[in-house]
Amino acid sequence: MQIKFTLNHQPVTLEADPSMRAIDLLREHCGLTGPKEGCSTGECGACAVWINGVTRLSCLMLAAQLQGQSVVTVEGVNPDSPDTLHPVQEAFVNCGAVQCGYCTPGMIMTAAQLLACERTPSRERIREAISGNLCRCTGYHKIVDAVEAAAQAMDREIS
Amino acid sequence: MKTLSFIEDIGRRSPRFDAPDKARGKEKFASDLYPENLLWAGALRAGIPHGEIRSIIVDRALSMAGVHAVLTRKDVPGPNRQGFVYWDMPVLCGKKVRHAGDAVALVIAETREILAKALESIQVDISPLPVVDSIDAALSDQAPKVHDLTTGNLLKAATITKGDPAVLATCDILLEEYFSTPVQEHAYLETENGVARLDKEGILHLIVSTQAPFRDRLEIARALGLDPGKIHITAPYLGGGFGGKDGATVQCLLALAALHAKGRPVKMWWDREESMVAGYKRHAARMHYCLGAKKDGELVALKCEIDYDTGAYAHLGVEIMALGLEHAAGPYRIPNMEAKGRCIYTNNPIAGAFRGFGVAQVSFAFEGMMDRLALKLNMDPLALRRKNALIRGDKNCADITMTHSTGMAECLLRLADHYLWTDRGKWVAAAPRFKRRGVGISAVFNGMGYGHGLPDYAVAKVRLTQSGTIRVYNGVSDMGQGNASTFVQMAVEILCQDRENMELVQPDTDRTHPSGSSSAGRTTYTYGNALIKACTALRDKLCNRAALMLLMDDARGFAMVPGAVRHLATGKEISLAALAAIMHPEDRLCVADHLMVTTPEMPQGGEAFSLGFPHLIYPFAAHLARVEVDELTGGVCVKDYLAFTDGGRVLNPQTFEQQVQGAVAQGIGYALCEAVQTTQSLISTRDLSTYILPTSLDLPDIQSHCVETIEHSGPFGMKGIGEVGLNGPLPAIGSALIHAGLPMNRAPFTPERILAALQGQADKKKEPPCR
Amino acid sequence: MKVHLPESLDALWDLLDQHPQAGIMAGGTDLLVSLRAGKQHLPTVICLERLAPLQTIEPLDQTLRIGAGVTLTRILENSLVHTHLPLLHKSVASLGSPLVRNMATLGGNICTASPAGDTLPALYVLGAKLSLASAKGRRILPLESFIQGPGKTALAKGEILDSVIIPFPAGFGVQHFEKLGQRNALAISVVSFAALIRTQDNLVQRARFAWGSVGPTIVRSPQAEKALEGNPLSLEALLRVADLARAAVEPITDVRASADYRRRVAGNMVLRLAAL
Repeated sequence: MQIKFTLNHQPVTLEADPSMRAIDLLREHCGLTGPKEGCSTGECGACAVWINGVTRLSCLMLAAQLQGQSVVTVEGVNPDSPDTLHPVQEAFVNCGAVQCGYCTPGMIMTAAQLLACERTPSRERIREAISGNLCRCTGYHKIVDAVEAAAQAMDREIS
Repeated sequence: MKTLSFIEDIGRRSPRFDAPDKARGKEKFASDLYPENLLWAGALRAGIPHGEIRSIIVDRALSMAGVHAVLTRKDVPGPNRQGFVYWDMPVLCGKKVRHAGDAVALVIAETREILAKALESIQVDISPLPVVDSIDAALSDQAPKVHDLTTGNLLKAATITKGDPAVLATCDILLEEYFSTPVQEHAYLETENGVARLDKEGILHLIVSTQAPFRDRLEIARALGLDPGKIHITAPYLGGGFGGKDGATVQCLLALAALHAKGRPVKMWWDREESMVAGYKRHAARMHYCLGAKKDGELVALKCEIDYDTGAYAHLGVEIMALGLEHAAGPYRIPNMEAKGRCIYTNNPIAGAFRGFGVAQVSFAFEGMMDRLALKLNMDPLALRRKNALIRGDKNCADITMTHSTGMAECLLRLADHYLWTDRGKWVAAAPRFKRRGVGISAVFNGMGYGHGLPDYAVAKVRLTQSGTIRVYNGVSDMGQGNASTFVQMAVEILCQDRENMELVQPDTDRTHPSGSSSAGRTTYTYGNALIKACTALRDKLCNRAALMLLMDDARGFAMVPGAVRHLATGKEISLAALAAIMHPEDRLCVADHLMVTTPEMPQGGEAFSLGFPHLIYPFAAHLARVEVDELTGGVCVKDYLAFTDGGRVLNPQTFEQQVQGAVAQGIGYALCEAVQTTQSLISTRDLSTYILPTSLDLPDIQSHCVETIEHSGPFGMKGIGEVGLNGPLPAIGSALIHAGLPMNRAPFTPERILAALQGQADKKKEPPCR
Repeated sequence: MKVHLPESLDALWDLLDQHPQAGIMAGGTDLLVSLRAGKQHLPTVICLERLAPLQTIEPLDQTLRIGAGVTLTRILENSLVHTHLPLLHKSVASLGSPLVRNMATLGGNICTASPAGDTLPALYVLGAKLSLASAKGRRILPLESFIQGPGKTALAKGEILDSVIIPFPAGFGVQHFEKLGQRNALAISVVSFAALIRTQDNLVQRARFAWGSVGPTIVRSPQAEKALEGNPLSLEALLRVADLARAAVEPITDVRASADYRRRVAGNMVLRLAAL
């Protein structure tokens, strides 16, 4: 089946089995290995991508569901200046929120979406928002720090 | 003038070198590799924990379109044995299966879908044997043997003795308890995987998510009867390791598959369920402790028996037991000890290396004894620990003299002043309705390095490249702990370069030098020491070559500055690029090695262990947990967590905190919710919906403070702290529960066990008294 | 496996007619996990996510009609749910994780008909009704008669759940929900409890209770409800209710907890009402 959608702000058309998982389509057909696979059952959140601006689990989506949609992976979170880091990415780097880095792309998708909706979430709210993204390295402390720092940086930018 | 947003020197909080690419999603983990024209390989798992293989019928699989090969034991060219010390684990089982995750066949197929169908179509006839599903079952007289050992299922027994343990009977206070700890899963988010390819010259190339590429090379060669010189392994950044990627996972299977793939690349990637079934775990342990003390709290004697369930294969089970015995009485001064250990085969999932290597288990027991002793003596548990804490010059419980940095007492001192401790009474009293609160502490340590008997060495290499950059050749895998980034930081410090001028090569058996595994809290310590020598040699060499170019008599008066070498008196500079241009490529390279010091002392009974025992250098930590228990459900919530850690000098506070916080998180999971459950040796927690990892809502903020000592043998005064942080949470939470009136002897502290304790149902089995 | 994404109900009816063996997928968070595990095999999957009529939330005469395809996140964001159905809000917020809730739907949670379905106890005590649609028309069924057993519903061939009608619980001052899972997110409930209580002069006038994960379907106990009526929300009164609750539930032992524990906690959770 022919699948047409927007991938990281560019239109793409692919020939693919509609019942393959979206994550496989992205990783194997599109060469975007930012979305990671950690559990295949929606528990870990490493595969999170934006579908029409909403963070979703690409391991629990079929390729056919991408038809006509706008898909953004971690590779496309900063479309205006792809060479620089998105404020959330920058905060993850500076605050030490990255260790093995395998959960990082999914965390960043979740965190960036949170900050797109809420300007200054509390630590508690941040913890709630990232509760579907498992991390085995950090204990989440520095991830919460990073999202807080990114919120402050983005808030400064706005005001 | 350029302004740096972060200062990269040693000791500064600088962001990690690897973080930007990981945050971009650009970093390629082994699992991100899909080479052109690849095939998929997968193993068929036995599914039966103990049995004899009667037949394996592969015809249907072989006849499927897209199936390239179906391999069984007869296709394994070599002796088919894997393992560290005991080569007891087959690559593919031929006669016998010893656990449900044993590989019995290997399929190579065009796609993952075909692979799955082919694996499903293989008919394996296994005649089941009685299942050895527990330590008791393994040690019973009628127990079937998991391996053909004259000692039955007892892989190894040993006793470490110090002083005269018989004085236990005469102590003022005598306490006896039984403890048990569960099987824990590493649960790295990137499951075991790799890609392999046999090239036209007969070289086997593997890119694997592994903690020990150099050891893997020898392991594959031995198991498959190949020439190690023809095996080339690369280890990109790992998506987590924690010990579980130390030892063969996909390596030998993947190599075998590549031998049958006609030069095409082969990818093997265990899914989560396969990782649960076939991957390594933390050993379950049961512990019997008898502690004797004086009325004033001075420790006198300990007798303990510690049994480790190593599952179907030894892995590093014996060495793990050795560390358990070495740490059996905690970071305390105790003149008399007898620690008996047994490492036992069962048909359970394979237990192996895991952060806290044998020590995580005994930490629960010895700290549990300290809390019970404090309770018995009506003594402040922190004061009791301070009274007995090791200081330099003491002999530890394994009879090793503390000649190196020993910050245990200082960690406790700092904790004693913290408001989370001093305010505990008020906080506990403010518990809301149906909640009960407790504040607990723990004091822990963890021997660093391979220990006696296995040379802990590393070979560092650093190069001035043709373009004038500095390239560090890291020889030890970075599984996420940030050693690679710290190596860059060290080179930056010595060579006075900006981060932008640095390059980093990850472990590669062709390009980097054998430097041991990423494990044992040794990675930054050992390789770092070697790297300091290599960088210092390179600095001296570059100054020397600059002197030649500038027609000076010698290199005195030269210094490295960012991008150049400068003659300080004249201010004349030569850029590194210019220097590189005149130097022979072989001259632009410095290689240096380092061997970790070991102790010449050997405790009585220690000769039972050929390697990995005892240790000389220990990091220490004191932890505190504030815990709230729900009286209606038994749920336990850790509200606050605090850790003071002695890791010598801190090279980068950020990575230091990362290690502590991550280890504590894993330790809280170990205490509260993580347990691999089996029924008749079959795993019932088969995925991440049933094996429970803490989420961001299950962990508190984790306050980490360093208690700096100086470890004179370490690079810039550091020692490794990757493991010690894991040992603290289980006993600290156990201590808090004791404070709340709920002494627990079995981990994890599930709501069900806590509710039973709340209802006054004892948490211990009746066992025979102290011998 | 074929995948269809109909964009109109007419197209859906045709597909259901042509593919009687098709599986119906709402958010996919249960179905795709179960397909991957090989628990079921489907020749065809029909996704409901593009059906506009299933995507609306509309108030109607002291009730809220929530389209079966509305994601749980959208329910949490809806101000009417927040104001009038705090009990539903709490139970939805306890389900899965934000990522799961961005995909999973209310209709999906109901049709999965798991004894551990997180929204079900709340929907039971709220007296939710379901609108079932097919090519032939529409019928309304109370939730309690729709769910017939673990994974079993009254859904007929060719029929889908199109919306959930939830009355506002007027006068119920206590809207309580508690879920015990093995962790605080991404948890399958071990025991859950929903309660609606109307009091007058500090005495309970009407109580409605429902427990999840302690029986083949959601457990109700009219005896327990009756036992509380006329009493204050005191520990003493609640202890009696708790005993009746323990008698009413029929839990099983699984990898998460024992039957015994579940029974105990089902009663204990009632006591929490004394702390409100």
